[in-house]
Amino acid sequence: MLTELLQQGVDSGGFLIIQVKTHVTQYFIFYCKCREEEVHVLGFEVSEEELKDGLKITHNQRLHFHNAYADPLGWNDNTPFTVHRFCAEELTRLMRTPHSKPTTLVIDSLSWVLRHVKCPTVCRTLHQLRKGGAARAVVGLLHTDMHQRGTVGSVGHLATCVITVSPGTKADEAVAKITKRLKSGKVIQDVGISIGEGGEPTKPGPNMLNVPLWLFTFLQTDPAANLTFNLRLSDSEREAKEKLALPFMFSKEKKTALLCSGPGSGQIVYEPDANDDYDEEDPDDDLDV
Amino acid sequence: MFTELNSILNASPDSFTQGEFILVTDRQSDASFLIHHFLCFYLRARCKVLFLGLVQSLNHYSSVSQRLGVSLAQAKDKGQLIFLEGLKDSLSVLIPQESSKASEAMDFLRDPAAGLRSLYQFVRSRLSGAADGDGGEEWGPPVLLVDDVSVLLSLGVSAGAVLDFSHYCRATVCSRLKGNVVMLTRCDGEEQEDEGDDEGPENLLKGLTHQCSIALHVQGLPTGFCRDIHGQVCARVLCWRQKQTDGQCTPSKLFQYKVHDKGASFFARGTSSAVL
Repeated sequence: MLTELLQQGVDSGGFLIIQVKTHVTQYFIFYCKCREEEVHVLGFEVSEEELKDGLKITHNQRLHFHNAYADPLGWNDNTPFTVHRFCAEELTRLMRTPHSKPTTLVIDSLSWVLRHVKCPTVCRTLHQLRKGGAARAVVGLLHTDMHQRGTVGSVGHLATCVITVSPGTKADEAVAKITKRLKSGKVIQDVGISIGEGGEPTKPGPNMLNVPLWLFTFLQTDPAANLTFNLRLSDSEREAKEKLALPFMFSKEKKTALLCSGPGSGQIVYEPDANDDYDEEDPDDDLDV
Repeated sequence: MFTELNSILNASPDSFTQGEFILVTDRQSDASFLIHHFLCFYLRARCKVLFLGLVQSLNHYSSVSQRLGVSLAQAKDKGQLIFLEGLKDSLSVLIPQESSKASEAMDFLRDPAAGLRSLYQFVRSRLSGAADGDGGEEWGPPVLLVDDVSVLLSLGVSAGAVLDFSHYCRATVCSRLKGNVVMLTRCDGEEQEDEGDDEGPENLLKGLTHQCSIALHVQGLPTGFCRDIHGQVCARVLCWRQKQTDGQCTPSKLFQYKVHDKGASFFARGTSSAVL
């Protein structure tokens, strides 16, 4: 169900925020994303090995891991990516691949970035990523308990869907609360979804709050991408369309043909019988016709 | 070393999971008995141990370990244990004397705002060479123990800098060298939602909780002081960070404990021998 909701989020376009409150289900989103499209993971908190262990993926060509875990501050002097390079240009360059498939950027986590980069800068970068079109979607994880409410709010306002996941009663279970903001301004809420092992939702479970994390998704889609019909016409199609006479359009010939009864056309003759209450008076007498 | 705790954590000196970050926390209680446990545990497991002792002297630790049946002096002589005595070293930084040479590890005291890069580089240089066995005996995976990180806050280091330090320790020791890290941090106040304080021990605790793979939280009994039960330990294992879950993984377990002269006993709630 969660996957469906995410898919709906993609189709309708706009933003999606996901709020996660447990480590267990942190990566279910990667799981469903990895099967469909190019995923770039900017990992600050988890090593590549750990991530792939958690995802139970051995080899996936469409999963690109950018290692910001080993040396995020440049202390070891051999750093692939430092936190200070967190800006739209760098990230766009990072995600450039030979074939231009739709890409999803996963930031694990925004908390790490927010500790070292100022909040307005992070917000601007996320906004630029969305507008610039480098990534079709941006997923970010945020530990809400580590930031002030204002910071969490500012980053949260950028996204369209919040999914709050908290641990359930069993180890592999979690409860998700989804708040989705549609483009029209409508807000949809769904509570009490439990996600079992492998990221597949199972049954609702009780809500137990624990360590809060946030996972944000910013989705930017073309709503006309997968339509079953055309939105635009080619020149020849337009010509053909203009030639076509629609059935309810009256041309002059059609009009005269309909109004003037030609030879062989029928006529209605009415003969009232004895019981018929026939009024001699013209019923339209009072009308000014 | 407490055998009951080993069975709770499903570990023994002969076989334990590598690459773990164990966080020991306490709130209005004292969790240092767990640090002594882990010190003895990893020394028995023949690991190369680096101990950052920031709150007590070497004498203190060695006399406690003596009671638990491990000799720190011997381990140190063999090169198995590297002990950073924070109390002594910080003194030589703060009151420089010609006779004593200040350790580079405590350089952060000169400028706490600059972060803990020097301390991390000390850790890295001491543990990276462990695999070579530097001429002596061959030791197992490297282990870093810190007692305790919240002291760094009192020394003027920000919580963010401590989190950076712990992140680097985890990346280097746990991920690269396949060793283990044990850190103790304490919170004195009541658990609360403090909005304004960004750099306090609460924030450090939350940040470390997100980084660790096993969290052991020690607290007093909610019902108050008891002579036979000293408190309770909540052990939380973060499943997705565990490599061998085998489908058996419990989110958290709560145990009560009593610290004895030599060791400590752990039991399920309400099953203390004084009660039954």
